[in-house]
Amino acid sequence: MGNARLVVSAALFLAVVLFGLAGRWAYPVDPVSRVGGKLQTPSWEHPLGTDVQGRDVLAQLIHGTGTSLSIGITASVIAVAIAIVVGVISGYRGGLMDDSLMASANVVLAFPVILLLLVVAVFVPVRSPMVVALLIGFTSWPGLARAIRSQIMSLKEREFVFLSRMTGCGGVRIAFVDLLPNMMTYVFTSSVVIMSAAMLAEAGLSMIGVGVTKGTSLGTMLFWAQLSDAVRRGLFWWFIPPGGVLTVACASLLLLATALDQFFNPRLKER
Amino acid sequence: MIHLLRYLIRKVVFALAALVFFVSVIFALPRLIPGNPVGVLVSKLALQGQTDPARIQAVYRDFMDEFGIGLPLWEQFTGFVTQLLRGDLGTSISMYPRKVTEILAIYLPWTVALLLPAILVSWVLGNYLGALVAWRRGTLLDKLVTPILLTVSRIPFYWFAMLMLFAFAVYLRLFPIGGTYSWGLTPSLTWDFVGNYLRHYTLPFLTWVVICLGGWAVGMRSMMIYELGSDYVLSADTLGLPQRKLLRYAFRSACLPQVTELGLNFGFMLSGSLLLELVFNYRGMGSITFQALSALDYPLIQGIFIVLAAAVILANLAVDFIYGFIDPRIRTGHLRR
Repeated sequence: MGNARLVVSAALFLAVVLFGLAGRWAYPVDPVSRVGGKLQTPSWEHPLGTDVQGRDVLAQLIHGTGTSLSIGITASVIAVAIAIVVGVISGYRGGLMDDSLMASANVVLAFPVILLLLVVAVFVPVRSPMVVALLIGFTSWPGLARAIRSQIMSLKEREFVFLSRMTGCGGVRIAFVDLLPNMMTYVFTSSVVIMSAAMLAEAGLSMIGVGVTKGTSLGTMLFWAQLSDAVRRGLFWWFIPPGGVLTVACASLLLLATALDQFFNPRLKER
Repeated sequence: MIHLLRYLIRKVVFALAALVFFVSVIFALPRLIPGNPVGVLVSKLALQGQTDPARIQAVYRDFMDEFGIGLPLWEQFTGFVTQLLRGDLGTSISMYPRKVTEILAIYLPWTVALLLPAILVSWVLGNYLGALVAWRRGTLLDKLVTPILLTVSRIPFYWFAMLMLFAFAVYLRLFPIGGTYSWGLTPSLTWDFVGNYLRHYTLPFLTWVVICLGGWAVGMRSMMIYELGSDYVLSADTLGLPQRKLLRYAFRSACLPQVTELGLNFGFMLSGSLLLELVFNYRGMGSITFQALSALDYPLIQGIFIVLAAAVILANLAVDFIYGFIDPRIRTGHLRR
């Protein structure tokens, strides 16, 4: 049962990745230049129609999926790296270091990334997907950091750590070589969840105008659709696909995370 | 009592520290940019078609004064803080010479009117629904409702809002296709206006409730299942207490983490409601944010930033206070949070 879930979610996610990567070769249409009339309904020539500037929606969707995936991966890698460093130091050192790191984690946890991007948006009017990925990554670490911290705190009292200490190992070695590998499966599962959250955040931020402005992402598609009143004008072929791809990508990632959890942690299988 | 007091004081200190941090950030960021921030801002005015040099000069001088450029950094900071303490958020660039506070005072109430009831209704409903499916877990109700709740809570909410608008307003024509009230009406406490407003209000309100409901219900469901299996419930059950009472005991304990979550998620819900307003073309902080961004109106964006940050801090503080009173462990000092 657990394996079936793993296969299904992984297959769904790979399909989205394939769509974003291989789609460009299978459907080599430029997403940013005008290829037909404005607001054409879906046809053989343009399977998902065209937008208000006569750009091909399917081509935008393919490139946008690729961009959104790379934003998700980049933000997730950054967030996980920060979470590991903060969580390990905080849990292993304790004391004042722990207090101040956790206080900053709490502040970042409660504050929406939109606040940061609001200010950045004024002074960096042209934002590439990587800038947005960086900013999302820098605000997505607190949850995982707190989880790593509490695990380190319970693990560091175990015998094998005392043994390492007795043989003269330093704190850094103990923390990263003895303790951290114990939670790598958990960290990996969390990184999948963070990736889906980052993709969702990108689209929302870009839609309100503080996210990506250079290139095509699923968020910028929604931005233009929203700006052109696509919903009220009934242009369903324009605003439904980006949200649909985003839903499939994020749902498959979250399903993958629970499946991975069960795979790594057979005791959970009863549920 | 002393424990509760100590807990509350700690929370207030933390909130103040967070406030100081955000004020420093909003002060530092524009000044970190190389060059003169006012020059950068006012040059954007020229880009928007404002070409009268005398007027641009006047605006430039006003903002040099307001930002205190040229003074030592420390005096700039104290000036900035005293201005804030006086409740002055500066002057808007795109709507010059209107004050930022004046503009925000128009838009903020509409957002509060949409956001607060939606959050409370979804939280209460979601908790009851979650408790219900946890109580009836394994039955048809649970198997039917839980997957639906899970699915809805995972759809990108801004897209879900677009779908709702498309389905119920554009296609079925059950609701107005967005806006806050019809053209030509002025806000007043007449039946006409309130009725018109409520017709516009219903769809964004319901959408937001449905979006938030799933998350609360799913959280409550797993919390309730945990509580219902814990020792105190099992022993109360063997003592023969009525089922209703067991449910109530478990529900009260399961609510505690949900209160914390409410505070933690407030920032997320606030930024979400900005997007929701945008989709429904609802007049509020979302639409003014969008406007301020497209005009690159820094003072206005700074004002929005401060209002949103203060709202998040206040909401978290309120939640912490409520928590202090409803969790007996804090009163007795048995829980250090």
